[in-house]
Amino acid sequence: MYSGINISQTDARPMYLQIMEQIRARIAAGDWAAGKELPSIRALAVALNVSVITIKRAYLDLESEGVIVTRHGKGSFVADVNGLAGELKDAELDKHLAEAADIGRQLGLTEDELAARLRRALKNLEKK
Amino acid sequence: MNDKHIEMRGVRKTYKFFTLDDLSLDLAPGEVMGFVGPNGAGKSTTLRLALGLIAPDAGEIRVMGHAMPDGQAAAKRDIGYVSGDMRLLPHATLGWHMDFVKSIYPEWDGGYAATLIKRFNLRPEQNARSLSLGEHVKATLLLALARRPRLLILDEPTTGLDPVARHEVISEFMDVLRDDNRSILFSSHNTVDVERISDRITFIDRGRIVDCSNKEDFLDRWRRIHVQLPAGTTLPSLPNIVGRVNDGQFITLTTNQFSEGLLALVGSHVRDVQRMNLEEIFVANVMHHREARGQ
Amino acid sequence: MNIVIRKLIAKELYVNRWFIVGGSAAGMASAVIASLGKTGFNVGALTWLTTIIASGVMLALYGIMNERKEQSLQFVLSLPLSIAEYVRAKMLGLTACFLIIWLVSSVAALMPILLKDSIPDGIAAYTVLLCVFMLANFTVVLCGALHAQSEALTSAVIIVTNMGVSIFMFTVGPLPGINEHMWGPAPVWNSTFWTVLGCELAVMAIAFALPFFFAARRRDFL
Repeated sequence: MYSGINISQTDARPMYLQIMEQIRARIAAGDWAAGKELPSIRALAVALNVSVITIKRAYLDLESEGVIVTRHGKGSFVADVNGLAGELKDAELDKHLAEAADIGRQLGLTEDELAARLRRALKNLEKK
Repeated sequence: MNDKHIEMRGVRKTYKFFTLDDLSLDLAPGEVMGFVGPNGAGKSTTLRLALGLIAPDAGEIRVMGHAMPDGQAAAKRDIGYVSGDMRLLPHATLGWHMDFVKSIYPEWDGGYAATLIKRFNLRPEQNARSLSLGEHVKATLLLALARRPRLLILDEPTTGLDPVARHEVISEFMDVLRDDNRSILFSSHNTVDVERISDRITFIDRGRIVDCSNKEDFLDRWRRIHVQLPAGTTLPSLPNIVGRVNDGQFITLTTNQFSEGLLALVGSHVRDVQRMNLEEIFVANVMHHREARGQ
Repeated sequence: MNIVIRKLIAKELYVNRWFIVGGSAAGMASAVIASLGKTGFNVGALTWLTTIIASGVMLALYGIMNERKEQSLQFVLSLPLSIAEYVRAKMLGLTACFLIIWLVSSVAALMPILLKDSIPDGIAAYTVLLCVFMLANFTVVLCGALHAQSEALTSAVIIVTNMGVSIFMFTVGPLPGINEHMWGPAPVWNSTFWTVLGCELAVMAIAFALPFFFAARRRDFL
């Protein structure tokens, strides 16, 4: 059931972050629709062979980000916020752009050169 | 239910060449505690003290609310014990063992036992003598799990198992955690597994508890900080540095209380900050404590 | 007696089942051979003694020490019982195993004496004493095996009790009160007989009771 989520221990990122990312990705893609009930913390822990404390942490952080909502005694649900999927995708784009800007500066590119590179990337996408 | 499953306070056990000293350990229901230590550190001794198979020279032990070792008969009704070097009785089949355990424990779940036997690829007709190591561990785990005990005590359950058997064994005893009233205490060398499934982790070395904390806390607190100091500069005095290795300009600091504040103190010469995995934390922790004790 | 102890006694009988069958058969066969003439007697009697001594020793040694070595002790100790209950179960279980072999062998030894006319019934008294001695012997070996922490000590117990058999035959046989009636037509149950029997039973009682006071009180079992 939840075997789609995979935690790697050789990944540099801590396990709870990996879980959060994979849940966010599914919500952003729309696979996990708004209002969908998340697996219970214990059920997910057993399914992934990961400690309960790690799942708890991931859920708590996702809740503080507003991505999920926990109703006491009922479980956790994907936040029913309009455009949540879009919001998450937006946040992802900003993150990638920030990284690109950082690398651009390290390479010594000017603003225009960086913009040109972005346009080239877009064109490559259209070709495919 | 608020009562702890295991409570040990100030436990001491003296042997000729080894002393377990000032041991305190807690296990709450719903928890997985990983117990990590080098060979000879006292892990098996601690687990046997919990089972009442050994009596402490000092200190208190309560398991499932019973004082140990006097209450062991009652406590063991609710404890499943599996040890990597445990063997079934020779000259008897697995099926015989299942009937034997079933006749002693009314809580035996025959349906679950049947599922496990299939899942573990065992057969009731197998004779104890013909089982491989992996099959032995799976068999003894089956006999323990089918009773649905509230507390599972596992002594090196995966040592010596091939990766597939290890995965099967871990998945099965993790299943216990569906119920937040059940708990697991397991000792292991396999820090990768311990890191993955433990809620809390206790480190033991040479008969003493070296550290005990929740897992995420350990992973958050410990870091390696790589610093490059040009000639002529020195580092300021820094708190919570438990290890330092100098290699010319390149210095590696190990800290057990990482924070942004600490990073700021180190200053602009920081090249890199690395997280540490449980094995690295364990080794650094033990080394630090041995140094502190003058060993 | 609680169910765990009962089940452990049953387990002892089950795990040693072939041994019990073999020992009983050997004891029975030896007794039959011993009743067939003089050579038969020498061969049969020796085999009979060896069978019973060996059965007792192997049960005590294998039943106790090997459980430790075979690492199945941990499995048994993980059951819901106390150390005292474990000792009790072990004692009762192994004794039950031996009793079967002993009973079969002793009856097989006594029957030809009482049934065959060619064998004087008088020797029945001595034979009874010998049989009870073997049982007392076993309880001593078992007691030793339960208390001894090393194989060396257990071996010492075995050697000493083996010597005991020879000592029995050399001292009880020639005893006045026993000797003169051995080849008589009827068994004589005189005071000498009862005294010797009394001593044997006393030794047995002590050897059987000791583990309940010492081994069972141990607080460390591994």
